[in-house]
Amino acid sequence: MKTDRPELFFHLLTIALILVSLWPVVFMLSASFKDLSQVFASPLNPFPYPPTLDNYLDVLGRFNVFRFVGNTFFIAFFVTLFKLATSILAGFAFVYYRFKGREWLFNSMLLTFFIPTTVLIMPNYLFLSKLGLLNTPYGVILPEIVDGMGIFLMRQAMRGIPKPLFETAALEGAGAMTVLRRLCLPLVRSPLIAAGIMFFINSWNEYFWPLLVLKDKSQYTLSLAMQMFISAEGGSEWGIAMAVAVVTSLPPLLLYLFFQRFILDSFMQAGLKG
Amino acid sequence: MNRLTRAGSLYFLPASLVFLLFYYWPLVMNGFVSFFSWNMISPRMRFVGFANYQAILQSSEFQKVLVNTVLFIVFLLVFDFLLPYFFSFVLSHVLHHGQMTYRVLLFLPSLLSLAVTSIIFLWIYNPVAGPLSEILGWFGLASPRWFKTPYYVLLAISTIVGWKFFGYNLIYLLAAMVSVPKEMIEAAELENASKWTILKDIIVPRTSPAAMYVFVLTIVFALQYVMVPVNMLTQGGPDQHSANLSYVIYQYAFVFFQAGRSAAFAVLTILLFVLFLLWRGKVAEKGVYYEN
Repeated sequence: MKTDRPELFFHLLTIALILVSLWPVVFMLSASFKDLSQVFASPLNPFPYPPTLDNYLDVLGRFNVFRFVGNTFFIAFFVTLFKLATSILAGFAFVYYRFKGREWLFNSMLLTFFIPTTVLIMPNYLFLSKLGLLNTPYGVILPEIVDGMGIFLMRQAMRGIPKPLFETAALEGAGAMTVLRRLCLPLVRSPLIAAGIMFFINSWNEYFWPLLVLKDKSQYTLSLAMQMFISAEGGSEWGIAMAVAVVTSLPPLLLYLFFQRFILDSFMQAGLKG
Repeated sequence: MNRLTRAGSLYFLPASLVFLLFYYWPLVMNGFVSFFSWNMISPRMRFVGFANYQAILQSSEFQKVLVNTVLFIVFLLVFDFLLPYFFSFVLSHVLHHGQMTYRVLLFLPSLLSLAVTSIIFLWIYNPVAGPLSEILGWFGLASPRWFKTPYYVLLAISTIVGWKFFGYNLIYLLAAMVSVPKEMIEAAELENASKWTILKDIIVPRTSPAAMYVFVLTIVFALQYVMVPVNMLTQGGPDQHSANLSYVIYQYAFVFFQAGRSAAFAVLTILLFVLFLLWRGKVAEKGVYYEN
């Protein structure tokens, strides 16, 4: 296959788009290694000269970054764990139990994916305050332990398993939990891991709901901590802000680095079935 | 599998319970609170009937917020629907190689959080010393104060959210594009059909369910995710020129402490959204090609 001229044009167009879309990431990285005078003097130069680690050292010295990292990880880890558990159970049940109103129940769960969450925040905030969970990580986690899309994905994945396999297992007297654990889970491992990675990244990156629930600085997640650097209008600590931004972005980027094929393929398959 | 049925209903329980408590009950709560005047803290709630709705519908703020909401949606449909649609077609049916590398790179920005993205773009748009002002300077143009000027602020915030979700939507659409049978396209090419004809007559109808999904999702995103940059960078300003329906729901509850007004805004938002979904359902019945 040779590349003809119109095709070359589209290659160039795509590459231009990639440059535009990666430039802010490159920019964040390079600014985090620049001292303040360089940030202002040459905003377009991606190469810090000489590169400095001062911003990172400053962040370490002045803020308890590890605390923020720990808080963010705690929330993201448990949100992911619970989302996977509820999605597996519901997805399994939707495939293997027949009853009146099954489609209706499924649609009412999937629909939640399309409800703009902003209409929920005030009532949920009041409810959590009644439960005494405000200003705790549990308050952030609790409303987020289900995921309409997760249930959809698990149902799709388990639908693909041949029915006779289950009937045989049931005939041999295996209980539902045994069927789920021994038979189903090993067969849906890749969509499960992919969903887990996406849940983790999304929760790690979340901003608005933690902002409402967590008031104490000691409870802050990384995304909330970052705001401390731009509160002063036109803030003068760009290098430091970018260093925190890099630290915040590192786990999602690393996960992507190792699992990119896997994430993209599962994502594409999910989209195909949707 | 009858004997499994009772256990089965148990498996629905955790998900159903949380959805009920944190997704459906709040919708009812909004309806209830919207008839009261309440500051969220005091134990006393004063019943005011439809006064909150009346006040909203008669205010000029409501018009402004509606216009902002619609403009955010329009901008984001360009950035996160039309643009990825076009490029997913280019990647899957125009280019013969490089698709794998391109999609890996184009998805990458979607991994950054909106909070991080907002901070990066705050600096990019900095009117005094930011990179964009420098580029504009080459052409002898002065940078506007992006986040302080009406309408410019909508565009600037849309680019932030648009940049972040472009990759997600590209991948969804790409999956649909790739699944169009190659033979159909090769047959059309044998008959010397142009790329444009192939796009119009084969790709568009065949990818319409995925396109419809991304279309709706982009509108949901445009409603709720602009809140992050708006809250971090403008707080709805200047003079509510960057506040959309979602943001005023938040603002009335958590900034102005008028829970009733906030709830009424939420109810109106839900109503508009339901109307949109019904309209979409009609359109989908007519124009979408579903494969059985």
